Amino acid sequence: MSSNTDGKTGSVPHVNSEYKLIEQRATAANVFGQIIRYLLLAFWALIVLFPFYWMILTSFKSYSSYNSEYVPKLFVTSPTFQNYVDAFTEVSLGRYLLNTFVFTVVTTAIMLVIVVLSAFAFSRLEFKGKNILFALFLSLMMIPNELVIITNYVTITNMNLRNSMPGLVLPSVISVFYIYLLKENFEQIPDELYKAAKVDGTSDMRYLWRVMIPIAKPTLITITILKVIECWNSYVWPRLITDDPNFFLVSNGIQEIRENGFGRENIPAMMAAVVAISVPLMVLFLVFRKKIMAGVARGGTKG
Amino acid sequence: MRLFSFMKKSGKAAAFMAAVLMTMSVLPLTACHGSRESSGFEIPEAFDETSKYEITFWAKNDTNKTQTRIYEKAIADFEKLYPNIDVSLRLYTDYGKIYNDVITNISTNTTPNVCITYPDHIATYLTGSDTVVPLDELLTDSRYGLSGDELKYDAPSKDEIIPEFLSEGIIGDHYYAIPYMRSTEACYVNKTYVEKLGYEMPEVLSWDFVWEVSEKATEKNEDGTFKLNGQKVLIPFIYKSTDNMMISLLKQEGAEYSDSFGNNWLFEDVTRENLMEITSHAKTGAFSTFKISGYPANFLNAGQCIFAVDSTAGATWMGTNAPLCDIAKDKIVDFETAVYPIPQFVDREGLQISDNKASRLAPEEKKFAMMSQGPSICIFNKKDPQEVLASWLFAQYMLTNDVQIAYAETEGYVPVTSKAQDSPEYQDYLSRAGEDNTTYYDVKIEATKLLLENQKYTFITSVFNGSASLRDAAGSLIENVTKSVRRKTEVDAAYIDKLYEDTKSLYHLDQVSAAGTGKTEFGELPAESKWLVRLLITTWLLIGIYIFSNKILK
Amino acid sequence: MNSKKQTLTAWLCLLPAIIFLGAFLVYPMIDVFIYSFEEGYNFASQSYFGIGGYNYSYVLHDPYFIQALKNTFIIVLITVPLSTGIALIISLALSSIDKLRELFQTIFFLPYVTNTLAVGLVFMILFQKTAYTDGMVNLLIRFFGGESVDFIDGPYSAKMFVMCFYTIWVVLPFKILILTSNLASVDPIYYKAAKIDATPKFRIFFKITLPMISPMVFYLVITGFIGAFKAYSDEVALFGTDLNAAGMNTIVGYIYDMLYGNSGGYPSYASAAAIILFAIVFTITIINLLVSEKTVYYQ
Repeated sequence: MSSNTDGKTGSVPHVNSEYKLIEQRATAANVFGQIIRYLLLAFWALIVLFPFYWMILTSFKSYSSYNSEYVPKLFVTSPTFQNYVDAFTEVSLGRYLLNTFVFTVVTTAIMLVIVVLSAFAFSRLEFKGKNILFALFLSLMMIPNELVIITNYVTITNMNLRNSMPGLVLPSVISVFYIYLLKENFEQIPDELYKAAKVDGTSDMRYLWRVMIPIAKPTLITITILKVIECWNSYVWPRLITDDPNFFLVSNGIQEIRENGFGRENIPAMMAAVVAISVPLMVLFLVFRKKIMAGVARGGTKG
Repeated sequence: MRLFSFMKKSGKAAAFMAAVLMTMSVLPLTACHGSRESSGFEIPEAFDETSKYEITFWAKNDTNKTQTRIYEKAIADFEKLYPNIDVSLRLYTDYGKIYNDVITNISTNTTPNVCITYPDHIATYLTGSDTVVPLDELLTDSRYGLSGDELKYDAPSKDEIIPEFLSEGIIGDHYYAIPYMRSTEACYVNKTYVEKLGYEMPEVLSWDFVWEVSEKATEKNEDGTFKLNGQKVLIPFIYKSTDNMMISLLKQEGAEYSDSFGNNWLFEDVTRENLMEITSHAKTGAFSTFKISGYPANFLNAGQCIFAVDSTAGATWMGTNAPLCDIAKDKIVDFETAVYPIPQFVDREGLQISDNKASRLAPEEKKFAMMSQGPSICIFNKKDPQEVLASWLFAQYMLTNDVQIAYAETEGYVPVTSKAQDSPEYQDYLSRAGEDNTTYYDVKIEATKLLLENQKYTFITSVFNGSASLRDAAGSLIENVTKSVRRKTEVDAAYIDKLYEDTKSLYHLDQVSAAGTGKTEFGELPAESKWLVRLLITTWLLIGIYIFSNKILK
Repeated sequence: MNSKKQTLTAWLCLLPAIIFLGAFLVYPMIDVFIYSFEEGYNFASQSYFGIGGYNYSYVLHDPYFIQALKNTFIIVLITVPLSTGIALIISLALSSIDKLRELFQTIFFLPYVTNTLAVGLVFMILFQKTAYTDGMVNLLIRFFGGESVDFIDGPYSAKMFVMCFYTIWVVLPFKILILTSNLASVDPIYYKAAKIDATPKFRIFFKITLPMISPMVFYLVITGFIGAFKAYSDEVALFGTDLNAAGMNTIVGYIYDMLYGNSGGYPSYASAAAIILFAIVFTITIINLLVSEKTVYYQ
């Protein structure tokens, strides 16, 4: 509200236009900053997405047209499904997928049972030596998997469980971290609920099943998701103890194809195989992405 | 992160506990990893046909379905003859994997009964006690030995096995393996291209000839394509197995390589000259190896190679009409394939046909020579001697004509028994080269004939614990030299000196000796290890000081 | 009364965990420790020279191990700071835009759920230069006027470059996710206060944002270090199982090679190497425990 008066407030119109200038500059800087940010993000998004695009693209190129491209093309001229047919017939890719599916489901299920029971015992029950035992459990978390794999390898071979589903599953079931995570979550459940349940005469198990588990559902989902991802992408253990293709999981199956199978020459078919094994988790991710990302974040921050 | 603070409180207690536990348990458990009870093997009086025996058989099969079927048929036929023996087959794509698996299973006593293997590998199996069964008695046993009386099938007698092949199974003083199939290396030549370049195919390929033609072929047009085939890619000379290459060169030049005590003469001047020669050709792009560029067959069939050296057991992949092929059909080029022995320095009569600096340094006479290779069979010791006998019965069955001829026909293999080689069935097979492009594929039969005609010029290398490593080292010399040249590193005398040092330590060749696996004396710690240890120690000292000072300040 | 029953239930509940942990975590730990002192024990001969530190000496003298050690350290020192830095920048950028944020977040997280071997294969193909084609990446390099390089089979620096690049690509999703959720949880009151004071953006970042998220950044750096020391599958994804031939072996790769490789079953050397790795990781963990008290600002 400045009318052009002269004298004492002669600087007001200056201030006005100066202010406008500053504001303009600020917005310009702002917009400039925004553009830079978007460019940066778009750049990284491109780097993230390009391999996937390339993977899918190549899987639709026919073998001969792929080989004739001295300069790789970014598009496909005559798409074909032949590569997928090849990938599934040359090796039993379907079998690898099935194995991995069974492995993931069984391992996650057993793990959930163990983790829930253990977390329950630590959080809700009182017994002698509880703290020391838990401390011991925690110290076990520091043991890297790469260390114990040596003996597990010998143990499984001794029990003649190489090339078998139990051999794959048993050592992969445990994780102290998940017990810790769930215990923390369980501990947040107020004591009053427990006392109330006890007054009603509910047994501990029923309490666990009816009350604790539903309340801790988000954490349980987190644990499940993390374990599923871990199992699906598991590579070293299967590679160490399976050499019978009937028991390959997708990771070491792909590695086998790449080194000794058609993947040595037939790149498009190799890509088709790669797409085939990546699809299940990707679909899962796209559908449940909010839950997955929230779960991983929760799991990550707790550690 | 709250985890970490929790851990800090209980961490100390836990760490103490863990330390106590560990030290306590170390002592009694040290007895845990020891050798198993060893029990020799004695041939039982008679084979017990009333009890059931389960035999495991581990074999190699490189995606060749015909070979798988032959194994399965052999097993089925054998099981008909001996209904109380059950054979289960496990296939591997690689001898190395069989080797790794056997080693792991030795310690848990879950070795297979019979497996396809190489004498080099058996040498390592033998470091355990009584793992592999010595075959001397079994071979000559009147009842169950070669063509013994109690056998239910027609097995060859000892004379009917090619003696050179049989003697390859001797390690130390005993037989530990029987041969299964034999092959050699051959040079598959694109005859059309050689003639296009203006040369005539000689009787015997000489190294000079091969290098000269390969160099000529590297000429390019202005647009960067090769004059010879009009394509962007041409590698005139590709050698599949560089270990064979190095060893064959030394053998041909009359130089020494190794002996059965584990001594080696790999790092001499002869090798140096060979490497320099190879380098000069790798530089121009005239030469490359499988590990660097890919399968010779793929290049040959696509008209991108002139001289492809590979095993005769890979013949079904070579040539325009090859029954097995990895590359796309429209990439295959039309040409005539000629099958030759690998390049040589002298011909079969000893006349010199090519010359090189290396052979002038070698002590002995030059030779016409090629590698003898191919799988053998060994059997493993088990508690039950009847089970071992059953394994032997099956192993011997693999030497019968049915199996030998059938398997040999799948590739450029040669049966190891003269009984099979001279049989009318096999002779008939050999005569029908070219009738079709599968069973009677001409390149395959020519490769087979090549070995048959040159059997007496084949050689094997000494077997000892570590011979496999030595072999790998030999190949790696050529690989490294070729790789470096491609990366524009200068390959000169100093480079080769360093290469020798690196290779010797990388393959632990100073530790290899038949005297046994003694502890080696190590020298000083290498710089990196010193730094690592120093780093760890200083860090812990600092941690200690920090905790200590904290305690004091409190 | 109840306590006896509770104790019984508790131990029953814990029994499966104890069995599994004991069999597959505790027992192996002790066993590996023992193996590392049984000198020269191997699967084939099943005997050892004696009890002593020979295995450690062997490993520390082994050129393969030295190479693996070098490679691992390079990967650790390059990828951890870089990936944390890049993750920070991207998270900051993400937090200050509103349109398309969810889309970007979803895209950035994609690598986390994919199989590293599968995607590594694609990277290998993109970066590889064969006799037939220069590959996609070399195409770009040539477009910008450079000379094509074989990243997979060429000079060491090129291989290390692609290795670090791929490692960063793989670890970024997790870091971005953690940092973004952490940034979001910073109380906006601080920012409002700073705005009133007309604090320049730089100061806001260094004096408010960074201290607020520093615990998380520190955590990511520590876990990043530990994870990078255990690097293995990413290397296999790019260079194949024979890492020694490519000169790109890592400590973990060396351990597995000793166990099951062409050197033939030496659990003794594998264990010695594994214990050395454990010592490194354990040291870092302890440092983390100690330092996390002092230099980190809590909310």
